[in-house]
Amino acid sequence: MNLFRSGEHIERWLSGRDPGATIPVRKLSELAHAWWDDRLSLTWRPHTREQNQAILDRLGLTGQFWRLPET
Amino acid sequence: MPDDLVLRNVTFALFVELGRAPTADEVAAAAGCDRAEVVAGWQRLHAGHALVLDAVTGAIRMANPFSGVPTAHRVHAAGRWWFANCAWDAFGICAALHEDGQIETSCPDCGESLRVAVHDQRPDDESLLFHCLVPAARWWDDIVFT
Repeated sequence: MNLFRSGEHIERWLSGRDPGATIPVRKLSELAHAWWDDRLSLTWRPHTREQNQAILDRLGLTGQFWRLPET
Repeated sequence: MPDDLVLRNVTFALFVELGRAPTADEVAAAAGCDRAEVVAGWQRLHAGHALVLDAVTGAIRMANPFSGVPTAHRVHAAGRWWFANCAWDAFGICAALHEDGQIETSCPDCGESLRVAVHDQRPDDESLLFHCLVPAARWWDDIVFT
């Protein structure tokens, strides 16, 4: 899970491997803040799969790549 | 013996207080329990993906989004430098601390240093891209690789 200078850099880094998913850094920041915001709260409880999937869905990170495993 | 949620919260609070991964002895002292109880609790938390232990030493490898070991993803926030497990976690450190920050990493392709300031949850350089190689269904198959 890395930051890249551009799409060209990602393609070169992949060197023919199947790509994963690419999102703009602004979307990444939104995702990180939604995902980790409560991590140090004294009332923190583990996120359920459904809670985490809802975060991804709300940010438009949909499709098979972003489907969390069923537990 | 503290329950696992309390142990987890003590561990994370101590990580932030110390600016590094706490040892089992340090957490035992803070939680008022035995080291063996901390180690056993950490193993249960590891199994539940609440933190990640080093496979050899049993020390904290990840208290996500914080890294217990040096990585290529550094974050300056809340007055000190932190290591993140990945680019996602680098932004996650700002999120968890509820602080602005400065992220330093490098492009895996060309090695060029990448610096991003985060202010009010927004990066100051929106030209960069994030690539996630592993599908979500397999993130925890090998979380260190992911």
